[in-house]
Amino acid sequence: MNAGQFISGAGHLGLIGWALAGNLFAPDTPPFEVTEVTAISAEEYAALTQSDTVPEAIADVAILDAPDPGGPAPDLSSRADAAPERARPGEADASAPDTAPETLPEAPPPPRAVDVPGAAPQAPAAPPEESAALLPDADPQPRAAPRVRPDPVAPPEPDTLTEETSRDERAPDPEADAPAEPSEAAAPEAATTEIVTEAEKAAAAPERSLRPRARPGAPADAHEEPAPEAEPPDDAAVDAAIAEALGGDAPDPAPAPAGPPLSRGEREALRVAVGRCWNVGSLSTDALGTTVVVGLEMSRDGTPVRSSIRMVGATGGSGEASRQAFEAARRAIIRCGARGFDLPPEKYDRWRDIEMTFNPENMRTK
Amino acid sequence: MMTRFLTLLALLVTWALPAAAQDENRGPLRIEITEGVIEPLPFAVPRFISDSAGGRDLAERITRVIAADLSGTGLFREIREDAFISPITSFSSPVQFSDWKAINAQALVTGSVSLEASGRLVVQFRLYDVFAGQEMGNGLQFVGTEEGWRRMAHKVADQVYSRITGEGGYFDSRVVFVAESGPKDDRAKRLALMDYDGANVKYLTDSSALVLAPRFSPTGDRILYTSYETGRPRIYVLDVASVQRRALEAQDGAMSFAPRFGPDGRTVVYSLTRGGNTDLYRMDIATGESIHLTSAPSIETAPSFSPDGKRIVFESDRSGSRQIYIMPAQGGPAERISSGAGLYGTPVWSPRGDLIAFTKQSKRRFHIGVMRVDGSEERLLTASFLDEGPTWSPNGRVIMFTRETQGAQGRANLYSVDITGRNLRKVPTDTGASDPSWSPLLD
Repeated sequence: MNAGQFISGAGHLGLIGWALAGNLFAPDTPPFEVTEVTAISAEEYAALTQSDTVPEAIADVAILDAPDPGGPAPDLSSRADAAPERARPGEADASAPDTAPETLPEAPPPPRAVDVPGAAPQAPAAPPEESAALLPDADPQPRAAPRVRPDPVAPPEPDTLTEETSRDERAPDPEADAPAEPSEAAAPEAATTEIVTEAEKAAAAPERSLRPRARPGAPADAHEEPAPEAEPPDDAAVDAAIAEALGGDAPDPAPAPAGPPLSRGEREALRVAVGRCWNVGSLSTDALGTTVVVGLEMSRDGTPVRSSIRMVGATGGSGEASRQAFEAARRAIIRCGARGFDLPPEKYDRWRDIEMTFNPENMRTK
Repeated sequence: MMTRFLTLLALLVTWALPAAAQDENRGPLRIEITEGVIEPLPFAVPRFISDSAGGRDLAERITRVIAADLSGTGLFREIREDAFISPITSFSSPVQFSDWKAINAQALVTGSVSLEASGRLVVQFRLYDVFAGQEMGNGLQFVGTEEGWRRMAHKVADQVYSRITGEGGYFDSRVVFVAESGPKDDRAKRLALMDYDGANVKYLTDSSALVLAPRFSPTGDRILYTSYETGRPRIYVLDVASVQRRALEAQDGAMSFAPRFGPDGRTVVYSLTRGGNTDLYRMDIATGESIHLTSAPSIETAPSFSPDGKRIVFESDRSGSRQIYIMPAQGGPAERISSGAGLYGTPVWSPRGDLIAFTKQSKRRFHIGVMRVDGSEERLLTASFLDEGPTWSPNGRVIMFTRETQGAQGRANLYSVDITGRNLRKVPTDTGASDPSWSPLLD
């Protein structure tokens, strides 16, 4: 139950209690019929009845800045890859009992050494990670439509039926024994590898229609030339209109998502699911004192869009502590979201964009 | 009439409240996660790549030291090699994150070791956040000699630890301690130096004289300690590189002990007993001049500077029992910060400055504990027959101390514990060991 329902329910209960205690239904008042109704918030009502809402603009995803590559390593020097000739050979203090190794920056491939490019090696030809066979999140989503074979299955033998009316026996038709003309092979019945319900089809059009624009005022000049009749819009015009609608030209910058909100149980389930992977065991004490707010977008199958995970804000710690806390939160979201969080598909608009606040206050004392 | 008015008003309020709460439902779904798990972070460190036979042996040893360093913190859990799906065959090859995700490796350390004919050893490594599918920081390379391979492994582990936890490491550090041998009533003691993990033990003194309480300088190049070689306790300073020592200036007829460097490395604070009274003094090492810090008839000892050098924490029985006090570094009024039942002693200021470690004796048991500098949030981390002498790791995350077993044959050993009280571990030493002092991170 969200706060609106809770407040509404409390208000109704208070009203009913006050009405009962205050002799509101005293006999001197005209009798009236009391009909029990389900408490519903104004927002829910609006959501259920609202047929035209402005499509939610898709905001650009903030990309998290890469961590400081150099890091505050106290005793090390790190710089971009350098040729091995620049490397300072380890020079131990002759009087020291142990030779102190020196640190060197990244080096390009020395003649007989291993190449250390500045950036992590990439595998452009490698298959996408999501498609790897052993990748947990590459498994078929359990909530997808049941799969079917691509080739149609032969229909079962029909049951023997007996007609209720008798027919006269006919003489055999000599032409019937003639071999039938071979017909051309027809294309097999179209089949697919999976059943895609309508709700799961990729949206080719805005998922929500536009809020109707304000009606134009009365024409100032009644004798104005009538506008030429609009031609049917072509596809480009439709695309442009859609793009304009999605482009943030909406009058309300944060429209309320359509559909009923998530129930308290659904929110709690999501909270527990993420918390199960939120491991703070390796965080520094500073990071354990940092609360981070992480924003992300979700796919329809309940998996987080990894590239959308970003730090919205952090309180209570230094920049480095915030980074550590965010990384722990991101790992939690990716790990436990790999197979998709258990969220109601019909309320996708409600959980497409999520902000998760990771507050480690309780974890500090454990 | 009034009743109807109130009814109408209540209806309006009931209708308006949900509308007021509607804003909460605008924008993204917001949830707050307050409960997580505290588990060691699983990591994988495949054997570092090497292109020579000698290098492969070193690579194996270096990899093992890195894994042991990280696992020894209690914050990380190594995934054994036999669980790996695909081996790392080339340091330059791209990482197949899916293979490491499948075994739940959240951090991956890859590296290479190159041993050149000149004896030059090159160690490179990269650290990956497997689930984020990206590298954490840049690859880093260390160059040294073959003899220094353990330090290079510690440095790699320090980097990995620092990048994941966000705080400095402590693996490339050393500990000076008192090595003990023989029964309790005839125990030989000498100063010894070792890596933080108990390896590479070197003895700094012989066992001809009793030695006590060695303490590293802030730069790790010198050690203060107390020796009875003249029959009376006296403070010496020893140069670690040359193993040369000299006695600090002493006052005739006085016993000096419990020395500790100031954060500038030029000042020493210590206890001096004269005429049955023990007070705290502060000495300039270069000039040998001392100033009186306390002048109470009670026993004041075990002083320790704050990291900024402005205050000193020490133990005193001026209230009738041993308690912990803090005073200005130049002397002056002291404030008692310990308030619990029991006896408190050997306070040591954390390198971070936020906590004070101490020994507590209560109900016939000894504890190592920490408290904030105002005495609040006291937490006891250990309990045994005899625990004493805490010393902080360079990053202020771990405390090493002495634990001695009961009986005539009881032996002293070194233990370490995280400041959360988790991960209590025995530090392996060949002999008995006591009075540890942790060095800063080495250069």
